[in-house]
Amino acid sequence: MDTIVNDFTINIATANGTGSQSANLILLQSLFDMGVPVSGKNLFPSNISGLPTWYIVRLSEQGYQAPGDRTHVQVLVNKATWAEDLASLEPGSVVVWNTDSKMPMDRTDVVSYPVPMTKLARSLSPKLAKLVTNIVYVGVLAEILGITDKALHKAVAGQFKGKASAIELNKTALELGRNHAKENFTKGDPYVVEERPIEKDRFFFEGNEAVALGCIFGGVQLLAWYPITPSSSLAEGIIGWIPRLRTNDEGEATCAVIQAEDELAAAGMVLGAGWAGGRGMTATSGPGISLMQEFIGLAYFAEIPSVFWDVNRVGPSTGLPTRTQQSDLAMLYEGSHGDTQHIVIMPGTVEECFEFGWRAFDISERYQTPVFGLSDLDLGMNRWACEGFTYPDTPMDRGKTIREQDVFDAMENFGRYRDLDGDGIPYRTLPGSGMAPILYRGTGHNPDGVYSEKPDDYFNLMTRLKDKINGARDELPAPILREEEEGDVGVIYFGSMENTIEEIDDMLEATGLKVSQCRVRSLPIHSEVEAFIRRHKTTIVLEINRDGQLWGILRRELPNDIVGKVHSVAYSDGMPPRARIYSDKILETLKEVNQ
Amino acid sequence: MSDKPARAIKLNVINEPKENYKGGPSSLCPGCGHDQISNVIINAAWENGIEPHRIAKMSGIGCSSKTPAYYLGQSHGFNTVHGRMPSVTTGAYAINKDLLYLGVSGDGDSASIGIGQLIHAIRRNMDMVYIVENNGVYGLTKGQYSATADIGSKKKKGKANETQPIDLCALAINLGCTFVARSFSGSKKQLTSLIKAAMSHKGFALIDVISPCVTFNNNDESMRSYQYVKENEVTLHMADYIPHFEPVAEVEVPEGHFTDITLHDGSTIRLETISDSHDPSDSMAALTALHQAEMDKKHVTGLLYFDSSKPSLAEDLGIVSTPLLDVAASELRPSEEMLNQMNSEFLGQ
Repeated sequence: MDTIVNDFTINIATANGTGSQSANLILLQSLFDMGVPVSGKNLFPSNISGLPTWYIVRLSEQGYQAPGDRTHVQVLVNKATWAEDLASLEPGSVVVWNTDSKMPMDRTDVVSYPVPMTKLARSLSPKLAKLVTNIVYVGVLAEILGITDKALHKAVAGQFKGKASAIELNKTALELGRNHAKENFTKGDPYVVEERPIEKDRFFFEGNEAVALGCIFGGVQLLAWYPITPSSSLAEGIIGWIPRLRTNDEGEATCAVIQAEDELAAAGMVLGAGWAGGRGMTATSGPGISLMQEFIGLAYFAEIPSVFWDVNRVGPSTGLPTRTQQSDLAMLYEGSHGDTQHIVIMPGTVEECFEFGWRAFDISERYQTPVFGLSDLDLGMNRWACEGFTYPDTPMDRGKTIREQDVFDAMENFGRYRDLDGDGIPYRTLPGSGMAPILYRGTGHNPDGVYSEKPDDYFNLMTRLKDKINGARDELPAPILREEEEGDVGVIYFGSMENTIEEIDDMLEATGLKVSQCRVRSLPIHSEVEAFIRRHKTTIVLEINRDGQLWGILRRELPNDIVGKVHSVAYSDGMPPRARIYSDKILETLKEVNQ
Repeated sequence: MSDKPARAIKLNVINEPKENYKGGPSSLCPGCGHDQISNVIINAAWENGIEPHRIAKMSGIGCSSKTPAYYLGQSHGFNTVHGRMPSVTTGAYAINKDLLYLGVSGDGDSASIGIGQLIHAIRRNMDMVYIVENNGVYGLTKGQYSATADIGSKKKKGKANETQPIDLCALAINLGCTFVARSFSGSKKQLTSLIKAAMSHKGFALIDVISPCVTFNNNDESMRSYQYVKENEVTLHMADYIPHFEPVAEVEVPEGHFTDITLHDGSTIRLETISDSHDPSDSMAALTALHQAEMDKKHVTGLLYFDSSKPSLAEDLGIVSTPLLDVAASELRPSEEMLNQMNSEFLGQ
């Protein structure tokens, strides 16, 4: 039999709350440490204990990070999804299954490895049998596939840092699994893991943790938040870094944290911080942003720096709280009632999560406006290979804030909302300074900040706000372009789609197409995006949502002569994007367009 | 021409004229209780010798929330959104805890749409003065009942209110609020003492001020009209405020019983017993007084409850003693060496 090396997908079906997550991370980390290009996806339920969870480990010599089209190796532990998981396998797949679950294993066209996981686990620790069961299947997989003890032990040590008894227990359990496989099975499947030289030093990191660290290096002064999946780990990441990175020798922090009573209050606190001259932020998901709408409008209209991170989950409403989507973009861009337009920055890698984490504050203080960081569950809560974080290359930009009396005295014609520089960005003084005090308000105001209903005042204010945000366009993170000379097909996408695009591109190019890519990283749209569209015969806007939200924004904002060249491919079923689905849809659309 | 010399302008303890504490002209209805309160705020801040620019004027939405434009023109302020002033104030406080936060709200703002934020600000013992200008009706939307309208009270138009009102003072006491008072916009002396004392308090100071709405709720059948409150106000005590810069020894001692309460900044509020004595450290007594008044269709006023033992939000946050606003950039952004070290740690090196 020909072997298939480092190019297959393992799917592990367990119930949540059983400790399978740490076992699965050990599997992922050990493969990573062997130099195998690998990615992990945690598909978890909105529940604490007992509902189905799948962990997908994709090994790909090409470095593809999306879940593949199919499962090659299935681990069956969870009774609830047993029949369905088993039925969906293609002939020839491998099944490692728990014989103690007393579930039928009625497929004869698969390679079956029966393991009494629970019994083995009980023999080691009756009390912790549930937890140990998971490590046992990792041991079995290690033996069948060829994962080294060295890599496993390193991963175990990393997972249970310093906890000697846990490390020992897990090592023993791995050994039990390995020995069971060694003694009972003859390898009857083609799937093999082979060590690869490690070319670049990299480590695994979650997007939410990376944003959190970026915020810490961005000098965040107030984190006001309300817990919501999948953003909680972002806020908790910040809280976790404060003792080490933002606390003085006396144990006092330079960043305040308030867990608010709801998202409305969290947003209010962020605005209060910005109004007082500090760097305030919140982390939330779509439902939280929905609740914050009123404050978002106030921040836009009263020009209050404020940073909002949205880790997108599946909407509308409560939706699928533990699944991923790119469906909050339109809401962020035009948040709140009335005419508004907001700056949105969309990282696509963990390195960018860090960078945009600190940059958001600079942008927000520069433009005196809310800034939204848009991540999603896939990027935020899964582990991605990271090459390390780059220190901010610019000092903190505190914007046009006047802090010294002599600077203020030297100014002519100051008004809180007067455009003195012609860039739409006014100057501001801070509460407590005694300089040019005003009563900030969400009502109409003149350039001095005084209440006004005069038509000219309102019209000029709204025009200036529009100009101000427009002026930010080419100062925001520029799109990342990978271009083919032919100018044939251009694919425009954003955010976490970055992790699937290479595989999609390979699939498209296998049909003979030449495909360029443009990853949009900010709104309002950078002028390079328009130039990219002009250079291509046809462009596809690829998104993980139903309606093609980025496409909608482009269609409205692009000049009329090129709108017709821009087509939408949008699809979402809650799952992280699988390359085949999107490449097929792109091909379909191209066919329609070319008819 | 007069031979008389120009009258010297009276200055306060920090040599500021009262003029520097005033604001723009009011656009509320003539005779509105809120304007009386604005004047008391101006007097209290001036007499207390607070630098105007160290005050932050906070408000929500409604008639009362418009008033920050009418006092303390030299203070920054924020007229926020409906019912959400507490959260904005909390965020500002986290950044600059050295300002005096003076919040003004109404009964619609605080007892309905914003009751959650009020409750949580009290729970955190947010360091602020929170004045509710309470008239039992929505003024700006032309006279609908609010959640504090008294049972049996009838506004100018429509039926009498039969819905159970929310008593913000009772609510605050139950939440452990550290300074709870009720007053009447027409009781200038009492209100001035209470607002001054609230400004000297560390923690959340709630003053619920009955402030008649002359346009929609000042008729004979209303229990929040000037006439009704004047006739049915039960005053717990006479309240005198003695600022920290004025030695208590030099203040005339009243004849009857009195209790002195020392406030955070060293000032004193002197409560002179009128008939039955009220102990403001006794929350049960305060709640009883409120319930008794409600049954009797009266309004009890004075310092209902006071507790100086609880930490305020600043202590809870565990932040540096310098306001975060003034922390140097080098303290806010960790060093490049630190990031390099962390990168190495992440790599397991």
